[in-house]
Amino acid sequence: MKTDGMSSGWLIAMITTYLLAAASAVADVPLLYATIEPAQINMGQSAQYTITNLGSEAQSMQLPVVAGLNFQFIRQSRQLEFVNGIALPSVSIVARVTPQMAGIFSIPGATPKSPPLVLQVNPEPALGSYFTPRNTGPPIKPPILTGATMPSGIHLTEDGAAYVRLSIPKREVYVGESVPVEIDLGMRSGFVTSLNGPPKLTNDDFTLNNLSRTPERSEKILAGERFVLFTWRSDIAVVKAGSFSLSAEVPLSVRVRTQPRKDSLLDDEFGDPFLRNFFGPTVPKDINAASPAVELRVLALPTEGRPADFHGAVGTFEIASEISPAAAEPGEPLTLRMHVTGSGNFDRVDSAMLDHVDHWKTYPPKSSFNPSATDGHKGEKTFEQPLIAMKPGKQVIPALAFSYFDPIARRYETARSAPLGVMITPSLADSALTAQQVSASGSAAPQNTYTAGLRPDHVVAGRLASSLIPLHLQPRFLAIPSILALAFTGAWMITGRRHRDRMPVRSHRLSKAANRVLAQMEDAARSGDTARFFHWARAAMQQALATRWQLAPDQVTSAAVDARIGDKDQDIPLLFAFADEAKYSGHDLHATDFARWMQIVRRQLLAEKATP
Amino acid sequence: MIARIRLAALLIALTLAGCQARAEPAEIGYSAAGLYNLANSYARAGKPGMAVLNYERASLLAPNDSDIDANLRHVRDSLRLASEPRSWFDRAFSVAGPVVLSWMGVFGLSLLGASLLAGRIDSRHRLIRLAAAGVGIALVGVTVFNGIILWPKLHEGVVITGATPVRVSPVPMGDALFVLPEAETVSMVAEHESFVLVRTRTGRTGWVSRANLAAVVAAKSDPGSP
Repeated sequence: MKTDGMSSGWLIAMITTYLLAAASAVADVPLLYATIEPAQINMGQSAQYTITNLGSEAQSMQLPVVAGLNFQFIRQSRQLEFVNGIALPSVSIVARVTPQMAGIFSIPGATPKSPPLVLQVNPEPALGSYFTPRNTGPPIKPPILTGATMPSGIHLTEDGAAYVRLSIPKREVYVGESVPVEIDLGMRSGFVTSLNGPPKLTNDDFTLNNLSRTPERSEKILAGERFVLFTWRSDIAVVKAGSFSLSAEVPLSVRVRTQPRKDSLLDDEFGDPFLRNFFGPTVPKDINAASPAVELRVLALPTEGRPADFHGAVGTFEIASEISPAAAEPGEPLTLRMHVTGSGNFDRVDSAMLDHVDHWKTYPPKSSFNPSATDGHKGEKTFEQPLIAMKPGKQVIPALAFSYFDPIARRYETARSAPLGVMITPSLADSALTAQQVSASGSAAPQNTYTAGLRPDHVVAGRLASSLIPLHLQPRFLAIPSILALAFTGAWMITGRRHRDRMPVRSHRLSKAANRVLAQMEDAARSGDTARFFHWARAAMQQALATRWQLAPDQVTSAAVDARIGDKDQDIPLLFAFADEAKYSGHDLHATDFARWMQIVRRQLLAEKATP
Repeated sequence: MIARIRLAALLIALTLAGCQARAEPAEIGYSAAGLYNLANSYARAGKPGMAVLNYERASLLAPNDSDIDANLRHVRDSLRLASEPRSWFDRAFSVAGPVVLSWMGVFGLSLLGASLLAGRIDSRHRLIRLAAAGVGIALVGVTVFNGIILWPKLHEGVVITGATPVRVSPVPMGDALFVLPEAETVSMVAEHESFVLVRTRTGRTGWVSRANLAAVVAAKSDPGSP
């Protein structure tokens, strides 16, 4: 029982592993593909086009549309296909392809990434003798030798299915020079099933630029055999000097028969690969058809006489310039264009145009290339540079220059354009036109939608304002309220000091000694001791006057007070007199008198404090 | 006594400064009527951008002129541009022209200061002093709020060319974000060389070439500025 359980576990694990592996294998299988059988037919015959969808994904299966071919739906079938040991449900649509004319047709692949299918339609049934081995018409032509070199430097692939030829017009080029090349791919009728990619160079030192996206298609008879010819045009460039060997190769799928040993006799009898394909089962095989190598000598550009503005352009060029608009206002952008035409490596054609021009603001230019329709290394490169005039008047744009290396003349050349004139008119917004001037300038203008409904003009009268900025927002005017505010603040402070002078004297504003004297005086007043009150009052006044007159307090006597003050202030001499009298008379003061004399002494003390 | 002399000298200096400010020789004179007539001429000539620009300038000098307001609205409506009606705040604090309002503010400030000083000197006539201070505060307030209303207008510009591209960066080859119609009024936020960063009424921002835009109040440094 235990053994059975372990066996079941192993079985489940193996099945799971198998399913996972199969799933990953299935993931690599294209889900949508198309086939056509046969790849070559005669006029009046039909081929079978099958498009198959593997798996459950609902991809659209639509019959292609090709000019000259009629696709007629036959049936739709569902079946199981085994891929890597996994049974996958598939849906197939079968259509009949009937040509309406002879020629070589390229049928788009089932998906955008799928290679196209090629169907060759021969014009006359008699010409397609390979389809009818028992043809009693003209004798069968001898087969082409596979892998042999044919006239015009054509070298067939080993299976004789195709050839590639690389045509370069010169054998000596300069570094950076763009050389136009042609790559021909000849495919023998019925052998090549698909083209798997564009041509490429076998030498990494070269770059293949501007390769035509779709090749030109034609037919060619070589050694009596019909070849479908695809021609690509491109430019090659090399980045270093030296001698190089260069060839081109094209990936293809060709049909190869899986040849059982027993059929060898048939091969010996017929020899031709097409007949082998015709009589036996075939499988597609991917090959790279390569051209014979071409020897190239690459020369370095001379350093002698190289212009400072040379950016690597090699070829033959001409330049022209223009500016638009021809009239503008200061600050309005203008566009200066430089057109470089000719042939050469346009990817290295560059120019800074105008860097600095007086009274102009310049910006970096941008460029665009418009290649020739037939030849990618010819065309026109246009540089556009925005310019802004900073000053009105008649302005002149300096001539533009462009330096390049001419491989034919084998020297550096500099092409120059003519200077351009442009009129910069003063800005309309900044000009102080009058209504009359505007009316005069616009008198020829047609009436517009604004005219109707406008209220009439006003009579111009009164003072003119020097600025549109309101007066109370002009810094110059704001000085007036600012000064006013300062003046009122100053006056406020001045009046504040006087106001304080009128206020009752507060004890805390006096010195401690004065406060002590005043306290003694108040104490004496409360007790009604007139002699003591005037004693302290006299002492306080002696102290204050001694400070004012720069004397010793003892020197401030009644005589000194009379002499210095006299009639200016009668209270002080009177206070000194009362003080002398109070010692002997024993006369008492009334409460209001005490208060009055207190006020007099306090004012004198405050005045003394305020004196610097 | 000395303080009185100083105060008198200060007032004389203020008066002289005020007279100088008023009597400044007008290098280029502007009048609301002249600008209004110029705007009408531009409108008749089929240049709505310049017309709106001059109506806006005229309205700075005569904010309560109904003809200016009507014609500005007429041109903008003809172009199907949005016209915002004046708010009550705007009308309330634009009761007079800017010159009258300016001197009204100075008078209000003087009234306020004098009433405060009088109270400091003499405590009598308290009600009169309070009334004078209130009137002074009101006059100063009207002037200040009028300045607050006018301040954004001083930083506005008018598109004077048709289909003006508003670019993402202040360079001629910068990508265009959107296009402004002629006579559209925008706020000018910043400047960079020959480009102005503008903000539209809908809040969109971008850079416009100075050649396509005219400031309502151009800077003195600009060539041919008002």
